[in-house]
Amino acid sequence: MPEGGRTTRVPLVERVLEANDEIAADNRVELERRGIFSVDLIGAPGSGKTALLESTLRALQGRRRPAVLVGDLATRRDGDRLARWCDQVVQISTGQGCHLEAGQVRDALGQIDLDGVDLLFIENVGNLICPVGFDLGQAAKVGLFSLTEGADKAAKHPYLVQAADLLLLNKIDLWPHLSFDRSIFEADVRLLNPRVPLLDVSATTGQGLDAWIAWLER
Amino acid sequence: MLGVHEFSIAEALAAQVQRHAPATGRVREVEISVGALRGLEPEALRMCWEAVTHDTPIAGAILQVELRPWSITCSSCGRTWTSPVPFVACACGDPAPVPTAGDELDLVALTIDEEEG
Repeated sequence: MPEGGRTTRVPLVERVLEANDEIAADNRVELERRGIFSVDLIGAPGSGKTALLESTLRALQGRRRPAVLVGDLATRRDGDRLARWCDQVVQISTGQGCHLEAGQVRDALGQIDLDGVDLLFIENVGNLICPVGFDLGQAAKVGLFSLTEGADKAAKHPYLVQAADLLLLNKIDLWPHLSFDRSIFEADVRLLNPRVPLLDVSATTGQGLDAWIAWLER
Repeated sequence: MLGVHEFSIAEALAAQVQRHAPATGRVREVEISVGALRGLEPEALRMCWEAVTHDTPIAGAILQVELRPWSITCSSCGRTWTSPVPFVACACGDPAPVPTAGDELDLVALTIDEEEG
């Protein structure tokens, strides 16, 4: 205790991520004003986020006018892959950041001509944990799991399962080669989020893509 | 990747506390409340907090973490209780009572030593 001083406890209730959330709210207002449906795609490294977006963008050619923001620690490889199918792709290099933040999305949106866009994909950094709690201003949060991650993955990541507006189970084409107990996976998902839609997809074979695109276009 | 998640939270919290810190006096304690959904580990968070606040005006401020647990409700017998983990069986035999939790991440109080005159 400092001499002659006093100690005061100051109650507050302020969200720790309020600074991020304020920028996210601005992003959300802007995207809604422009009629752009935006998706924050969250999944583990190697779950197939980029592959899914490649297949999706290819299928959407001529039907929608998408733009893509891709977050990664380093390299432009994901952005380059997606640029084959979409002419509005911005790569966000986070350096050491394990998730995207609203300010990065705001800055990246400034590099796109949003007048021509009706659909925005945000491919988050490969990570099932950190990105879930950072609002970017998206309309919907999509969680991508894949068969190779094992059936317990949903139970291990309850935040993503509860927060998701849609869950995708990718690499469904590998089903014959793996012992993935789907009843465990689905039971865990339902316990955590009774109403979230769950779609099986294969980014490589195209299985399930129609249902995913129908959800995007609704 | 231990602590990576906690590190970005600690950084955001340190910036927030410094915005609130008075011009004179010292922040002695920082209290936060964290919902179970966040998956934050208090000890890792404290370690990251020390690293992030080192060499800042708020170095030495102690971080107190209130971790709010999961709330478990059994649809078979109606019992409700709290648990640190989401997947627990009920004493009545139901293997899958429903877990719910919040994702709050709030700064709830600062304790400040004010200097006299």
